[in-house]
Amino acid sequence: MGDIEKIYEDYKDHADFLTIYIREAHPIDEWRMRSNEKDKDDVCYVQPKTLEQRVAIANDFTKRFKYTLPFGIDDMNNAANDAFAAWPERLYIVDETGKISYKGGNGPFKYDPKEVRAWLAGRYGEVKPAAPTTPAAPQTPAPTTSNEKKS
Amino acid sequence: MPGPFRKQMKRMWTWIAITFGAVLALVFVGLSVMAGSPKDALQMVRYALPYMHRGDLKAGDAVPDIQLVTLDGQSRFPLRGEMKGRPLVLVFGSFT
Repeated sequence: MGDIEKIYEDYKDHADFLTIYIREAHPIDEWRMRSNEKDKDDVCYVQPKTLEQRVAIANDFTKRFKYTLPFGIDDMNNAANDAFAAWPERLYIVDETGKISYKGGNGPFKYDPKEVRAWLAGRYGEVKPAAPTTPAAPQTPAPTTSNEKKS
Repeated sequence: MPGPFRKQMKRMWTWIAITFGAVLALVFVGLSVMAGSPKDALQMVRYALPYMHRGDLKAGDAVPDIQLVTLDGQSRFPLRGEMKGRPLVLVFGSFT
């Protein structure tokens, strides 16, 4: 999610963003991933069976990563997931008229935030890196050249 | 049906079954390598394939009007209500 958060920071003055939390991709009671175990990423959850459980995991996520993007949660009928073929992760851009303008590929292999950045850059221009906030080091005087004549 | 023809048919079906079985075994081995183990491959087939699809939405379609739940779990809001005259980037995903 780090790439998307950076894109959000760069373009939030031009576009709106919404994260939609959908059914878990790798809960411990379904397709378990070793990288999620306690000794690694430590994201061990069972697939939520109630909305309360789903809300609790979504809140764990936003708190752990101090996630700042606007957030919504798919209901237990998985309406968003089904309508957008979103599982396990996917990106879309809806234009100002409410029409799908960009549909990203299925994650994780075809999930590509760079394509979202390119779409936004095409519309609003590339965001240049912010100027450094620390003052520049004082310039050292240029060394005198050896062929200067002393008076 | 003459005997030689029946024998030929039987042999053909045997080879089709062997080839089909071999392809299935190869696919399963490939999935096991990809997923990490035969157990992971079975879980992937059972839990991932039913949800992993392209869907019907395409560029130019109107954004579906669905209801979402707020982060505090206390209320719902319409996705279309998030359209505020600017492009809307939708990020779908989960924790795991």
